[in-house]
Amino acid sequence: MRMTSAGSHRIESVMQWFEDGMEEGENGILVYPNMQTFREIYMQYAKDQLVAREEQKENEDNNNDDYHDNNNRHKEQLLMPRIILIATFYDTVNAVKHNLSAVGVDVQSHIDDGSLLIVDAYDGYYPNINGMKMLVKSLSDRARKEGRIGVSVISNMGFFFLYDGDGDASELISYETSLPSKTDGGNVRGLSCYHTRDYENLDDSQKKELDTQGQKKSLEVTESAAYVAFDA
Amino acid sequence: MQGLPSLPVVVRLLLSGKERKDKDTHSNKNKYYEGLNRNRSNEEHSNEDNKDDKPLANLLIVDDDPDIAQVLEQGFLKNSFLVSTFTNPEEALKNFQSNSEDYCLMLSDIRMPGISGIKLARKVKEINPKVKVILMTSFEIKDNEFSKVFPSTQVDGFVQKTNSD
Repeated sequence: MRMTSAGSHRIESVMQWFEDGMEEGENGILVYPNMQTFREIYMQYAKDQLVAREEQKENEDNNNDDYHDNNNRHKEQLLMPRIILIATFYDTVNAVKHNLSAVGVDVQSHIDDGSLLIVDAYDGYYPNINGMKMLVKSLSDRARKEGRIGVSVISNMGFFFLYDGDGDASELISYETSLPSKTDGGNVRGLSCYHTRDYENLDDSQKKELDTQGQKKSLEVTESAAYVAFDA
Repeated sequence: MQGLPSLPVVVRLLLSGKERKDKDTHSNKNKYYEGLNRNRSNEEHSNEDNKDDKPLANLLIVDDDPDIAQVLEQGFLKNSFLVSTFTNPEEALKNFQSNSEDYCLMLSDIRMPGISGIKLARKVKEINPKVKVILMTSFEIKDNEFSKVFPSTQVDGFVQKTNSD
């Protein structure tokens, strides 16, 4: 485990880890200390992916030389951003929409153009535990058809702590280990997000099983604003 | 389904068979009196059936959203209940373990990190089956959602928070 000083750039460090540290086709684990941090993460990510791209695209459309890029693939990606799936559990779908709007994301237009999907994680895992996987698969297929670079999934895993009895994490471990750490040729970047209070309900061996014996990239954001800790 | 404003009425009905607690055994005695004082100074006392100023019952309120927890606390204090309010379910459980005989009813959010309302309800009923449990949620209450809960968890009521999707 490495500790990196992040200072006031804590959320930016998380963004960097998600963008640069995780490749297409990878599934990772993020442990967040409180709901506010989780909100900041999905808000910043959606803003970076959707609002910043729009601004960049506008600049390109205006033939601004500073932003001009002759790379056709880059232009295509600007036209067709990644699909972002936010599966919320402790906040309602409306609360997530509200939070995203507050940071300047035009939520409805991005939902309408298929770039943003916000769902109640409960519906993704119950009654069919594989519902979320099926949804992600369909988004992955659509992203390919539409020429998008891929799909980003930010899924809150709180559902798995709703019913299970003390120490019973079999359903969660079975589900998490069914998500491969890396799929060659995959176009999905998946992030399973755990509230630290849920995560701490797991014992050490369960935590190990969760990240497929250390194969998955995982990031633990601590309560202190000063540090971001992550497994290399 | 009931919204938050009518909750004190619902709770009063639910507890109507129970004897009023005459003895303040809990540390929240002060909260109760503070609540009464606020009522007297700010508005006409609406609690006509509790003119002798004795608490109706001792409630445990658990919601990880501090705003909701505060609204509930204020609402119940106004209606002459004793309340202990927690935003951390682990702390609520610890408190309940030490004071289980003091409480008549627990009102808890369902989706909370650490210990969900469903697990908390299960533990509360294990410790003191006489305590009534009401679960509340901001999310749409789906029929299938609770089929997984029953019969392993006994719950006396569900409340839909009104600011939902």
